[in-house]
Amino acid sequence: MAVREARTMAVAVPTTRDDLVVALGRATTDTRIIAGGTDLVRSLRVPGDEPDLLISLGGLRGLSYVRLDGATVRVGATTTFTELQHDPVLREHGLCLALAASTIGSAQIRNVGTVGGNIANASPCADSAPALVALGADVTTVDGAGHTATRPLSEVVLGPYHTSLACDEAIVEFSFPALGPTQRTAFTKIGSRTAVTVARLTCAIVARFDAASGILEEVRVGLGAVGAVAFRVPEVEEALRGQRADAEAAALLAEGCVRAIGRSIPDRPTLPYKQHAAVGLAYDTWNALGLCPPCAPAAHDDRPEEVA
Amino acid sequence: MKMSLTVNGTRHEVDVRPTARLIDVLRDELGLTGTKEGCGEGECGACTVLVDGKAVASCLMLALQACGKEVTTVEGLAHGGELSLLQRQFIAHGAVQCGFCTPGMLMSAQALLMENPTPSADEIRTALAGNLCRCTGYSAIIAAIRAASGREADRADGSA
Ligand code: FES
Ligand code: FES
Repeated sequence: MAVREARTMAVAVPTTRDDLVVALGRATTDTRIIAGGTDLVRSLRVPGDEPDLLISLGGLRGLSYVRLDGATVRVGATTTFTELQHDPVLREHGLCLALAASTIGSAQIRNVGTVGGNIANASPCADSAPALVALGADVTTVDGAGHTATRPLSEVVLGPYHTSLACDEAIVEFSFPALGPTQRTAFTKIGSRTAVTVARLTCAIVARFDAASGILEEVRVGLGAVGAVAFRVPEVEEALRGQRADAEAAALLAEGCVRAIGRSIPDRPTLPYKQHAAVGLAYDTWNALGLCPPCAPAAHDDRPEEVA
Repeated sequence: MKMSLTVNGTRHEVDVRPTARLIDVLRDELGLTGTKEGCGEGECGACTVLVDGKAVASCLMLALQACGKEVTTVEGLAHGGELSLLQRQFIAHGAVQCGFCTPGMLMSAQALLMENPTPSADEIRTALAGNLCRCTGYSAIIAAIRAASGREADRADGSA
């Protein structure tokens, strides 16, 4: 106790990017970076686990933005979920991320929690992750030497609560190709209740669609909360490319998601539930794209066998 | 760590550990015990306060994150010894039973009414989705908020 009390904890609240670099330059493996804190604050209270240096990004107003930069959408790391949910640029050019933000926690959490924190925390259930994965997002970071680096999201989030971020490296921006008028996107989530719920399964889809021919030109599918990290499903994406956007495509999507989940969590006791739920979720996500009249899975074909 | 916090329009200087949560400082340092801690995990909303007019869970926020911002607690709703319209409607509608959730309910409702003075029942439900009540069954709470809406939302910061 005395030892813990004696340990001094430094705090840095940078207000400029230069200050942030200076603060990161002092970071060690015991340093924690706090953005909204909705995940971190609980772990900061574990006795004996206090950081040597706490860097708060809350003073960096310049890291909170969504903007269109040519054909790229740029999202500042400390943009809150409430801001993402309502941002007109994001709703037009990256709707699935705005929808994912709107499903997170409660108003109290969305007002504070940030997209950068959601990814840096690397929870397998992070709601923004499948949306960012489907959007093909890159992550830009800055480190204690002042270096800026950009890499795909899949190279940042490596496993549950495990990232490739160095201890002196902070996420500053997400970027992805802006969705245009020929693209549709949707995000759906299953949790145990409608609010303040940890995701059991999330699905984000981005689809490019030729309205004249009714053909799907490119489909990207991101699944979350069914494995160590959110992931794309290339098998489904390939199966759907060149397909007519109809009930058959919805069935291909559902079957592909079920198979991908089987590969991702083969030994989990929740596998039968998640595969069963994935069928409904895939259809919901497909229908939300609005590419064809709403369709539903064939009756009974996805029901688990009755136990006598 | 020394920090200054503006709560209900008054500036306070406190000296606390950097990891002190906003709720700890409000209750233990400033004696503002109207804000309740239910779960300490962001699930129940009993600890809801306003920071710069937005509802936040004070159990998931460090006090240092609120430095330089305006914090409003349930104590800031009444002024001149008179309860706000929202508070009076909670009483009139029987929206308070044990009262433990009430400060959080009031602050979530206050944030909603400041942003959207005439919310629909659905908008009220969405704004309250992060607030749990074990007693009332919610209908009385929603009715109280409806009754307080559509009129000018009371100022939350206690200043005239
Ligand atoms: S005490 Fe903060 S949400 Fe329950
Ligand atoms: S009045 Fe008792 S918990 Fe809401």
